[in-house]
Amino acid sequence: MLKIENLTTSFGSVIALDGVSMTAQESKITTVIGANGAGKSTLLRTISGLESPSAGSITWDGRSIVGLKPEDIVRAGIAHVPEGHAVISELSVEENINMGSLFRRRSHKSDVAASLDEMYQLFPRLQERRKQLAGTLSGGERQMLAISRALVSRPKLLLLDEPSLGLAPLVVEQIIDCVNTLCRSTGLTVLLVEQNANTALGVADHGVLLALGKVVADRPAAELKADSSLRAAYLGY
Amino acid sequence: MDTFLAALFSGTSRGAIYALVALGLVIVWRGAGVVNFAQMGQAMFSTYIASTLIQNGNSYWVGFFVALFAGAALGALLDVLVMRPLSNKKKTELLSSESMRAAIPVIASLGILGVLQALAGIIWAAEERGFPAPAAQEGFTVAGSVMPFTSFDVFVISIVLITLTMTTIFFKKTGVGLAMRATALNQEVARLSGIRTNFTRTLSWAISGAASSLAGLLITPTSNLSPNTLDLVLIIGFTAAVVGGLDSPAGAVLGGFIVGLVISFVTFYLSPEDVFISILAVLLIVLIVKPRGILGGKDSRRV
Repeated sequence: MLKIENLTTSFGSVIALDGVSMTAQESKITTVIGANGAGKSTLLRTISGLESPSAGSITWDGRSIVGLKPEDIVRAGIAHVPEGHAVISELSVEENINMGSLFRRRSHKSDVAASLDEMYQLFPRLQERRKQLAGTLSGGERQMLAISRALVSRPKLLLLDEPSLGLAPLVVEQIIDCVNTLCRSTGLTVLLVEQNANTALGVADHGVLLALGKVVADRPAAELKADSSLRAAYLGY
Repeated sequence: MDTFLAALFSGTSRGAIYALVALGLVIVWRGAGVVNFAQMGQAMFSTYIASTLIQNGNSYWVGFFVALFAGAALGALLDVLVMRPLSNKKKTELLSSESMRAAIPVIASLGILGVLQALAGIIWAAEERGFPAPAAQEGFTVAGSVMPFTSFDVFVISIVLITLTMTTIFFKKTGVGLAMRATALNQEVARLSGIRTNFTRTLSWAISGAASSLAGLLITPTSNLSPNTLDLVLIIGFTAAVVGGLDSPAGAVLGGFIVGLVISFVTFYLSPEDVFISILAVLLIVLIVKPRGILGGKDSRRV
């Protein structure tokens, strides 16, 4: 379980996260929704160690991970897929996937090969294109690749930042379905950040609504989805 | 015809060395984001170490391998002791603009160059000394006539080609090579993938240090050794790297050979005084036609 208490992260004088407390339950999908600039990405970036918080605590599996480097947080079982289909365009598809399991190569040699095959089963399109440079992929394929890169590190918690960004509705559905299946079948814990609140709440178990760096609602997803006044006030539809 | 062959051979042999220098620059530029002006200072230092060992009765090869190792160690040390603390965000907050942060390591590398040259002057005295070649520097004799090609040239070209092949295999086929390329291309994604980027960055400094030490060992038999002899080699190697594309290791190698051949043909057919103006012309033409170098990438990064 991931437990966040009073987390505050600021950039100079701008406070991006202002005393955020929330949890992500094991083997569940928790979604963080909110408008642009609500602090959603900063929340994920602080969890994965890319930003350091000025106050508060992040506890993962009973131990504090504040102050750990990103490369050690991956080793602790938290994989982060940052915003914008973050793959390395100049590397091939296969190299992008293998990059995610480099740190396990010595200790889990056979498992590393197996995890590459698993990704190809999960996203057959990637296998067809495995020798191509990642920069030549479509947006949807790039997102699949970014997720694969994260999954081969064998995470227990997957942080997904706006996987739907800039993708066609059909592709979004495919990716969200896939994440849902992964969570339900393997017990992966997912923390999903989305601006597309409807899609996210449709698949999530629990929803957290952020506005200007603060938590304004923290409820079961279905309840949050049904609350039209919150929706109108914070999401604008 | 003889002049042509002589120019071709000597250009290829010189070009091979410039290719090494350019490769060293490109590896640190891509791996650590620094144009390392101290590179040939490091090479000079390790060549002096080899020279001292050889003068004290050790074999050429002992000096050779110790110098390569010393070059790698010095590169790694500079990264850990100087570059890493300088890139620490918290400490450089005073100079918080992005361009200043990029400029600081470059200025530091100039400082390192000065320190290394002064130290070499103090330890080994600032006068020129010779440095041995492991193979004959007289031209081959074929059917009674002396060819413009020496065994040392053969040695230089083959050892550089072996090094370039090994480097390519290392970067393309090994996990550490992949980690280094990933770090060079996108540090954030690399870290999120679990790659220890501090380590890969130090490793680029070490590999670059070894490559440029090799260049130092190969060029000093024809140019002699003093604290400043390799300055010119750095300038030519830097030109080669820019001509080939500062982002591209293959481009660096290509640039090295191009610049080597240009220098050699100008020396043989025009005069040695025209060498610099002709390199400058090549550099200008390439920068006008392909601003990012012959094999440089399409998107601009950092520049």
